[in-house]
Amino acid sequence: MSLLTDELRSWIGREAVYPAQEEIGRAGIRYFALALGDDNPLYRDDDYARQAGFPALVAPPTMIVESCQYAVGPPDDHGYIGHAWDLPVDGCRMIRAGNAYEFFRPVLPSDRISVVWTLEDISERASSRGGTQLFVTSVAHYRDDSGELLAINRETLVYQPLTTGR
Amino acid sequence: MTTSRVDTTIAQPGQSLTTGHKTFSIVDLMLYGAATWDWHRLHYDSEYTSRMQLPGPVVDGQIYGALFARQAVDAFGPTAFVRKLEFRMRAMVFAGETVQIDGVVHEVRHDPDADLVVLDQTLTRDGRPVADARTEVRVPR
Repeated sequence: MSLLTDELRSWIGREAVYPAQEEIGRAGIRYFALALGDDNPLYRDDDYARQAGFPALVAPPTMIVESCQYAVGPPDDHGYIGHAWDLPVDGCRMIRAGNAYEFFRPVLPSDRISVVWTLEDISERASSRGGTQLFVTSVAHYRDDSGELLAINRETLVYQPLTTGR
Repeated sequence: MTTSRVDTTIAQPGQSLTTGHKTFSIVDLMLYGAATWDWHRLHYDSEYTSRMQLPGPVVDGQIYGALFARQAVDAFGPTAFVRKLEFRMRAMVFAGETVQIDGVVHEVRHDPDADLVVLDQTLTRDGRPVADARTEVRVPR
């Protein structure tokens, strides 16, 4: 039985919009760097960052695309609060296949960032575990309050059917 | 992770960046999940991961992007700007495991106002591939 149903195909092209909630903020940036064990002063010292040519301390490069700070509402049953399509796919586990990021300028503590996700494609391919699996590709555009594009994140997730009888 | 700085004005394809290592304790996974507002049970709940037929809490694959970017910034200095970063997953990593990050200069282009460096980077665990990346960095003159 095919995993890729007509109902699933109808999801292609859908958009999800996450308006800016608040500034990214110095605390959020320092927290992210701490979580990575990254003591680069670029992420916590305004004077150091200014000497490097930035108007203030900056966020680590990938923070903008890794954070779920833009989300609203309570966590779902999996504990997840970030963007998800809630696709009608049962009996599968979801894993990451990869991401392609483009960055257009460093993120500053004062940036208020909004995100628009678009579901670009869903395809079904053979799995090395046997059977097939679904590849779901989405793209997110991150913009500041003025509409300036800060980053693009193209993400591919895989839905693998769980085996039964275990 | 201590890194030797690479001078992009004389960098050559094939030049290696400093190798790094990262062990992901369950506390690290908690920290990263909290800092990114990602509280998915996959990353800390052993009962949940067992139900998902996984051997333990899973390292969030997104963190690999951060590790690849960090290696680039550490190598090229505070003015380096990561313009593009594309990574593909090869295998999952679980709490308690250690990955090694390696990077090699793939290409260097010299513009009038900046050097553009393309890197090939890999993450491995016990020599087996976990993820690989192609990263493009702009380093102003």
